[in-house]
Amino acid sequence: MNHFTENVMRLATRYPDLAASLKAARGQVLTIESARNGSPSARRDGRWIHSAYDPLRDAETWADSHAPACQAGETIVIAGIGLLYHVEALRKKLLPDIAVAVLISDMDEFHDALSARLLGPWSDQILWFSGTPQDIAQTLTATGRPLRCLSYAPASQSEAEFHSDFEQALRRGIARQVGGQLTIALVGPIYGGSLPIAGYVKRALENLGHKVQWIDHSVHARSYDIMGTLNDTRNRQLMQSRMAEVLSQWTLATLAESPPDLVLSLAQAPLTSPVLEHLRKKKFVTAMWFVENYRHLTYWQQMAPGYEFWFVFQQGQCLEAFRQAGARNVSYLPMAADPDVHGPITLADEDRRHYGSDVSFVGAGYANRRRCFPLLLRQPWSFKLWGNEWEGADELQSVLQLNGARIDTATCMKVFNATTINLNLHSTTGAGLDPQADFVNPRTFELAACGAFQLVDHRSLLSEFFTPQEIVSFRSFDEVPGQVKHWLADPSARQAMAAAAQARVMSAHTYVHRMKDLLAQIGLSQPDRIGAVLRGNRRVEALRSRCAADLPLESLLKECPAGRRIELKDLAAQIRSKGPSATLKREELMVLMLDEYRSETRDLV
Amino acid sequence: MLLNSSSHGRALFIQLARMGDLVQSLPAIEAVRERYPNRPLDLLCSAALAPAFAGTRAIDRLIPWNGAQWRTWADQWSHDPIETLRSVETYLTAIEAEGYDRIYNLNQHARGHLMAHLLSHHPVETSHARQADHGLSPWAQYLRQVVAQRGENRVHLADAWCGMCGVRPRGRAPILDGQEVELPEDLSGIGERKGFWVALVTGAGDPARCLPPEVWTSWIRAFLTQIDDGQVVLIGTGQEREAAQAILEATPALLQGRVWDTTGRTTLGQLLTLLGRCPWVIGADTGPLHLATAVRSRAMGFYFARARVHETGPYGDGHWVYQYATQSQPDSWPIKESIGLICDEGRRAAPGWSLWKSHLDRWGVFFDDGSAPQAKDHQRAAVWHALSPTLDDSVAA
Repeated sequence: MNHFTENVMRLATRYPDLAASLKAARGQVLTIESARNGSPSARRDGRWIHSAYDPLRDAETWADSHAPACQAGETIVIAGIGLLYHVEALRKKLLPDIAVAVLISDMDEFHDALSARLLGPWSDQILWFSGTPQDIAQTLTATGRPLRCLSYAPASQSEAEFHSDFEQALRRGIARQVGGQLTIALVGPIYGGSLPIAGYVKRALENLGHKVQWIDHSVHARSYDIMGTLNDTRNRQLMQSRMAEVLSQWTLATLAESPPDLVLSLAQAPLTSPVLEHLRKKKFVTAMWFVENYRHLTYWQQMAPGYEFWFVFQQGQCLEAFRQAGARNVSYLPMAADPDVHGPITLADEDRRHYGSDVSFVGAGYANRRRCFPLLLRQPWSFKLWGNEWEGADELQSVLQLNGARIDTATCMKVFNATTINLNLHSTTGAGLDPQADFVNPRTFELAACGAFQLVDHRSLLSEFFTPQEIVSFRSFDEVPGQVKHWLADPSARQAMAAAAQARVMSAHTYVHRMKDLLAQIGLSQPDRIGAVLRGNRRVEALRSRCAADLPLESLLKECPAGRRIELKDLAAQIRSKGPSATLKREELMVLMLDEYRSETRDLV
Repeated sequence: MLLNSSSHGRALFIQLARMGDLVQSLPAIEAVRERYPNRPLDLLCSAALAPAFAGTRAIDRLIPWNGAQWRTWADQWSHDPIETLRSVETYLTAIEAEGYDRIYNLNQHARGHLMAHLLSHHPVETSHARQADHGLSPWAQYLRQVVAQRGENRVHLADAWCGMCGVRPRGRAPILDGQEVELPEDLSGIGERKGFWVALVTGAGDPARCLPPEVWTSWIRAFLTQIDDGQVVLIGTGQEREAAQAILEATPALLQGRVWDTTGRTTLGQLLTLLGRCPWVIGADTGPLHLATAVRSRAMGFYFARARVHETGPYGDGHWVYQYATQSQPDSWPIKESIGLICDEGRRAAPGWSLWKSHLDRWGVFFDDGSAPQAKDHQRAAVWHALSPTLDDSVAA
């Protein structure tokens, strides 16, 4: 009997369908060759998947690097099949209460693996998953066990799309399940476009039931601005960078007051690399949502290794660039809208007249907008231009509103709601449309959330969020006058489209959706920390159920209020509240002693 | 602290603070040992410092306190509280399954209080809470008051701890009887070769108490120029290597051969050996100065910032301290005065500094500046009389 037949027989007892699929597979995607030590090794598309010298030792090394992180009760999900040396090595290093699952992304590759090597009894302790990434993700999340995803890169990279889809599906699945309460320190910028987003993020996290401590640096904006009035560039930059350092230390001091589960920064948050490194050493989990075009603002290159998790709104090269700069975990997280701010409003007639027009645009005077917008003048419809930094755009002065004042969010909402056709042109420093038109700006989601009709310049990622029945895009600005004419003449189609876009935002593109995704991603990477909290494992009921046979802990938890998340510090606070002269039980004294060491994070500064 | 009346049960000293406090606990430990020679006496102290006290005859059992393990447990709690509590219980049981009859908790720190409660055989009458006055002994309250208000206290911390333990000081300085530990080969000549060996404590645990490297350079230059057979040993941890390097580089090349940089190169045992080989140890960091006195070396302290001679001066007879007049950073240093003093033992005043010499008497150590010692004697007697009237009477008798 050959290896394949014997292996399939072994599998068939637990996985008859999988065995049948294997028999139907053709294999021959791996080239099997003998390694120097005589063991079979393999190449795929010319690249070695296992060592050409000693595949066993190679696999041992991989398993050694991952085994220590694997915790009891977890399911370890391995991406990458190869000849399964790495799966065998890891399985043998883990205790039986840690499950190991393997994603079968390519039945032919699995066929080759089973033909090349005889699986031992260890394989009976493996969970084999085949099917679509979405189905596998759903099955795994339904188990309710903490999941820890590992990738054996030499084998997984040939199925990168499968694994990316799987990870995304898993993230969504976990996002739907999350329920525990995290404490999150939200570090905002001093000023700029990411400042309002910090507010939206805060509200979204709170709506999800998390405790948010917003470290709001915008209160220092005035001082920062005053430093900006220094004429000497060197002095100005020196003072402003010193101020950023002080604010970074201030953030550290604030975090020390009450250490959170997660430090979430928004782009431009004044946290320096040394402070981030310090936080990492103190085991803080840090994340940054970089809501900027990575091609324009490039300071991330120096900061990349500083944050544990990066979230960016661009894909492809952006993700790769961050990884190359040293980012350990970088994920795609697009922009969104906040329905509490961005929504339909009823306007008085006077407001409608003041803020309304056939066509309008709200935004700053970037070069491409200055070049394109004159095309909208002298048309049979009205056009209003709102926003600042339009100095020198003489031709547009006749349509510029409020003398080019900066438009606040409330005014912006009035304009969106009062305008028949809102123009949304992504900024670029060039002459026309953005030549690298990938990300979708917040404005797209905000307009849609208002139920406002918009014409947006085409973005490669737009179809990921909206269908052509929900949003109209243009690929050349020359198309715009014709589009305006067309849509002005068809109010019912316009309103139907705007309503559809609004429904789409509400169902999939709010900051609540994004924060769920963000936390799920972090939880997935840290199943024993953030993941455990999100699964509700730290709630008093969960703890009580775990300590059925443990009297000391049960007695500690007796007085904890139901539904609350209970951490060491909470128990300690509860014990201290009994007063300094209370007679404490032995386990209460132990908790206080443990809390003494936990609170050493106060030495953060 | 808590104190059960049994005089024969096992007793435990808890001292989880840093080296200086640990050495200053020795007078109390030795006094208790002398008073209760048959009572088994254990010491719980930081694992990192334990090796230096391994040979202390007054202690029956040295229990290293593993702070790193507690940190790990604190981290582990959220993953598995049940297992964490079990591990802690196992650890505590290993320290003393039966519990102690008597516990001397010298530092009024929360961890010490908690350990006192956890390891005591009997209900403990002191507070487990942070910063609570409830249950503090009169001596503990006195020390807390001294820390808060400073004032004219003349009772040394080591002697106040004797009072806390219900014993009076022995009137002798404690000695650590450890064996010499082998030094790195290139340092083995320290103290062995002929010469006037002086160890300089390069840095300090509290950055505010560090002497600027240029001050040390000036001191070394003056000392080595004046004393032909003078030899200087720079001691300190790895954190002081940079400062030591700066001192060495600024020292004239002709003198550098007589400066031995040992910073960051010694274990605690080796440090004790080094200190024991240098007749004089000079510095601003109280920890190494206390250690030096315990290996029979003479100590000279430059006390400034928050360091106060009467409370934490080197324990024993014949040590010297220059005390700066204010708590601010000194703007002049007693360089030539201190060198002159260690050469001929003659008092040399320095502008802005007062000079104190240590002595021992029935209430422990005290420092005099050559003026009206009787008045200070009265202050200490009054404190002992108020806080430990029984002990005070027995002394008088």
